[in-house]
Amino acid sequence: LFLHFGTMNGHAILYTGVTVAFWSTLLIVGICYTIFDLGFRFDVAWFLTETSPFMWANLGIGLAISLSVVGAAWGIYITGSSIIGGGVKAPRIKTKNLVSIIFCEAVAIYGIIMAIVISNMAEVSYSMFGAGLTVGFSNLFCGICVGIVGSGAALADAQNASLFVKILIVEIFGSAIGLFGVIVAILQTSKVKMGD
Amino acid sequence: MAEKMILHPSSSTVVFAVLLNVFFTGTYGNQVPLILWSSGGSPIPEASPPAGHVVSSSQLSSLLASVLSSGPRAVVLFQQDKLSIDDFTVFGGVFGNEEDGAFPNLKSALQNSSGQLVLPSVSQLGSSRIVQLLQEQLRTTPLYLEPKNLAQLHLSASDPALLVVRLPYSGTDVSSSKDDLRANDGVIGRILDIMKAQAIPYTAIYTAHGPSQVIQEQSLDSQLVGRSLLQTNVYAPVQFNDSSNNACILFWANNFTVSVYQGKWEMTNLTTQTFAQTPKLDGSKCSDTDSRLSINYENVLGFKSFRVTFVMSQRDYKVSARKWFTLDQILLEYDNQNTTLNDTRDIYAPGEYSYHCESVNIFSSAPRTPSATQWMLTFGGFQIQGFSVTKGRFSYANDCASFFTPAIWMGLLTSLLMLLILTYGLHMIMQVCTMDRFDDPKGPTISVPQNE
Repeated sequence: LFLHFGTMNGHAILYTGVTVAFWSTLLIVGICYTIFDLGFRFDVAWFLTETSPFMWANLGIGLAISLSVVGAAWGIYITGSSIIGGGVKAPRIKTKNLVSIIFCEAVAIYGIIMAIVISNMAEVSYSMFGAGLTVGFSNLFCGICVGIVGSGAALADAQNASLFVKILIVEIFGSAIGLFGVIVAILQTSKVKMGD
Repeated sequence: MAEKMILHPSSSTVVFAVLLNVFFTGTYGNQVPLILWSSGGSPIPEASPPAGHVVSSSQLSSLLASVLSSGPRAVVLFQQDKLSIDDFTVFGGVFGNEEDGAFPNLKSALQNSSGQLVLPSVSQLGSSRIVQLLQEQLRTTPLYLEPKNLAQLHLSASDPALLVVRLPYSGTDVSSSKDDLRANDGVIGRILDIMKAQAIPYTAIYTAHGPSQVIQEQSLDSQLVGRSLLQTNVYAPVQFNDSSNNACILFWANNFTVSVYQGKWEMTNLTTQTFAQTPKLDGSKCSDTDSRLSINYENVLGFKSFRVTFVMSQRDYKVSARKWFTLDQILLEYDNQNTTLNDTRDIYAPGEYSYHCESVNIFSSAPRTPSATQWMLTFGGFQIQGFSVTKGRFSYANDCASFFTPAIWMGLLTSLLMLLILTYGLHMIMQVCTMDRFDDPKGPTISVPQNE
C-alpha cells in the first residue's frame, strides 16, 4: 500500500490521507460508544431538535444562491470556452451564441431571486432550508446542462449555420428544468403561512 | 478605566457612565456608592481613588476634609436606607432610555453643579459613619430633616450646617424599587430647590447605610454555579428502601431550594432538612415500573405540612429497544392543597442508569391569573435514580450536559460544509491544465484569418 504512494501525485495522497483520518475517527468513536454501552447518547433526533432553526434557514438561503451560481458559472465556462474556440475559425458565431450565455445567467438570477424571497420571510422555519436546497440543486444541474448544450450549439454553428436554431430548442428544454426548481421552492415557502 | 474627577460642569451622563464603568464583579459585597456635588464655590480638588478601590472610612474622612475646606460648608446629606451601583444601572435610564430614568433631579443637579466627587465603592463602615465624620469636620450638630418640615428651613450662607435627610428604600421588591427611587429623587429635587431659592451654596452628598440587592435577587443561579473552596457539607443521598431493606430509590442534591409566589416570591432552602438528617419518606413506593419518592417537611414557607413527591416510571421503548426511566412529574402537597409540576420532560435516563444535572429548575405552568400561586424548585448538583439501584450506590450517571453542545455541533456542521466546498473548488482549480493535445513543435504554426 505504501509503495503505491510513490506513483500518486500530491492530490491523491492528500485525499487518501483525509479520507482515512475521517473514517478511522468515526470507527473509533463508534467502537467506544458500543463498548461502554453508551450508544443511546448518539442521538440524531436530539441534534435535529436542539439545533437552532436559524442555522438551517440561513444554510438554505446560502445554498440557494451559491449552488445556483456554481451551476451558472460552470455553464458559462463550458459554453464560453467553446464559443471562443470556435470563433477563432468562424467569427460570425460569436454574436448569435451569446444567447446560450444568457440562458446560463438566468439560472443565477433564479437563485438570487429565491434567496431574497426566502430571506424576507418573517417566520423562520425549516422549510427555508428545503426550499434553498431545492432551488440550489436544480439550478446547479440546469446550468451545467445548458452549458454543455450551448457548447455543442456553438461548435455546430461554426460548422453549419443552419444547425444553431435547432439546437437552441434543446437548450430551451434544458432551461425549463431550472424554472421547475424555482416553482417548487416557492410552493415550499408559501406553505409556511398557509399550513400553520 | 480609572475614574476621573470632573473639575468642570459636565453632563451627568458622563458621571453615570463613570459609575457604570466601575469594576463590577457581579456581587455587591459591602460597598455603597457615594456621590458628592457642590453648587457654588471653587471646584473640588482632584482626589479620585483608583478603579475598584474600596474607600475606607479614614480615606473618606480625609476626602471630605479636603472637599469641605475648599467648598461650601453647608452640607445636605441624603442618606438612603440602601443603595448600590446596580440601582443606577437598572433604574437610571442610562441605556438610551433617558425618559425612564428614576433620577431626573439628581442628573440635573449634577449637570448644574460646579464640582463633583463620585466614589463608586465606599466601605459600609465608612458610609454608615458618615454623619459622625461630617459632624467632626463641620463642628456642628446634624439637623434631621423630615419632608414636612422643609418649608420651615432657614439657613445662613456663612455658617456651616449639616442637614440629614433620610430616604426610605427597601430594595427587595423589584417592582416598587423604581417608584421608591423616583420618590426619593423628588425629595432631593425639592430640597435642592429650597436651597437654591434661598441662594445658599451647598455641598450635597447622596449615599446610603448599606448596599441594596437589586441584581443579586434576580440571578438565583449565581448561587449554584461554582464551588466554594472549603466545601465541607457533602451529605449522603436520600435513600428509600424496599421491603427487603435494599435501597431502591436514591436522590441527592448539593442545594435544594423551593420558592413560592403568593403576591411576592418567598424562598426557602431545604438542603439541610433533606440531607443533613433522615427525612420522613412516608408515601414513597417503588416497583419495577413505577416509583415515587415522597419527602415530608414541616413548617415550610408558612405551610404546616409540605410534601414533595417525585413520580418516576420505567417503560420499555420498542424503537430504541431498551428501558428508559423518566421523572414524569413532581407533586407538591401543602396544607390539604396540591399542585403538579409537569415541566420535567428533560429528566430521563436509560433504566439502568441514574440522571445527573448540575442545575435543574422546575417551574409550575404559566399562571392563568396574575395572582395565582406559582412554584419554583431549584436544584444544584441534582442526581436521582428510581430503578435498578444496586448496593445502595448510584449507577453510572447519564449527565444532562452532552459532550458537544448544540451550538458546537452547529458550528462544526457549517464548518464541515464549507470545508467540503473549499475542497471541491480547490480540486477543480488544481486540475485545470494547459491544453497540449495539438502541440506539435515541429509542425506549422496555425494561421488565423483576418476576416471571415
